[in-house]
Amino acid sequence: MMRRILIVLAAFSMSACAHNINIDRSELDGARAAIAAAKAAGAEQCAPKLQAQAVASLYWAAHELHETDYHPDENAELIAQAEAKAKAAHEKALPGCTVEIIKLKGVYFDTNSADLKPASVSTLNHAVDTLKRRSDISVEVAAHTDSHGSDAYNQALSDRRAASVKAYLESHGIAANRLSSKGYGETQPVASNATATGRATNRRVELRVLAQ
Amino acid sequence: MKSILFLITLFAFALPASSAGFSVSVDQRSDAVSAQLKGDNSYHAHLARELSDIAIEEKSQHDIDVAKAFMDLAEEHAAKAGGAK
Repeated sequence: MMRRILIVLAAFSMSACAHNINIDRSELDGARAAIAAAKAAGAEQCAPKLQAQAVASLYWAAHELHETDYHPDENAELIAQAEAKAKAAHEKALPGCTVEIIKLKGVYFDTNSADLKPASVSTLNHAVDTLKRRSDISVEVAAHTDSHGSDAYNQALSDRRAASVKAYLESHGIAANRLSSKGYGETQPVASNATATGRATNRRVELRVLAQ
Repeated sequence: MKSILFLITLFAFALPASSAGFSVSVDQRSDAVSAQLKGDNSYHAHLARELSDIAIEEKSQHDIDVAKAFMDLAEEHAAKAGGAK
């Protein structure tokens, strides 16, 4: 009977641990540090694919290290791959990887809405022209709010507003594979939220040029 | 006693499966992530695709629970990409 109970407990234990992908293991210190350094240099914006490959390798290595049938060579290879990709992302990001931002002055939405106001058309059409002229770039449509309202509400609102602008650009001939959208909520103010003018400045949409 | 052991075993194996539901396969979830992220070249989109690929690889090695765990991660990052929620 005890043996049966132990078998069941072992099955329970294995199934419960299957989701455990612990990237905090000491074996991954080097890879984690390389990824953190690349991120700090702006790799997520400037070398997104390389940085993503580094992080994915880190997760995979973390899982493989957790496996009961331990394969040191494969694990070492995954860890080395994570470090190499992160270093490559870092190198790509380092040379002055300040993200180029195309400001869209004059994009307006109805209050608490992602519906574009007609007054935005001129600015958005100008952005369309810019993107057609610079056909070699891809951009992230980034939307920001002021600090009025809860963090969660502002995040969701900025997500919808970024998506709304992206949809406009797409509908005016910019290829979807050159566009992504992201809301930043109230996390990146460029002016004080203490004044109406500052809050208006913080409510903005911009295009972040992504190096490919 | 046999019944209790049987129930405990069922419960144990149901735990990892419950997070993603029984009806949607890893392949279907991977296809959904790919479709959702088509044309999205952001960091989170790339990461979601990489994690989805790992999930498929783990599934091919018959490690379904791990495949589901990686798909969970892939979907988490897919949701962060492109403002999708």
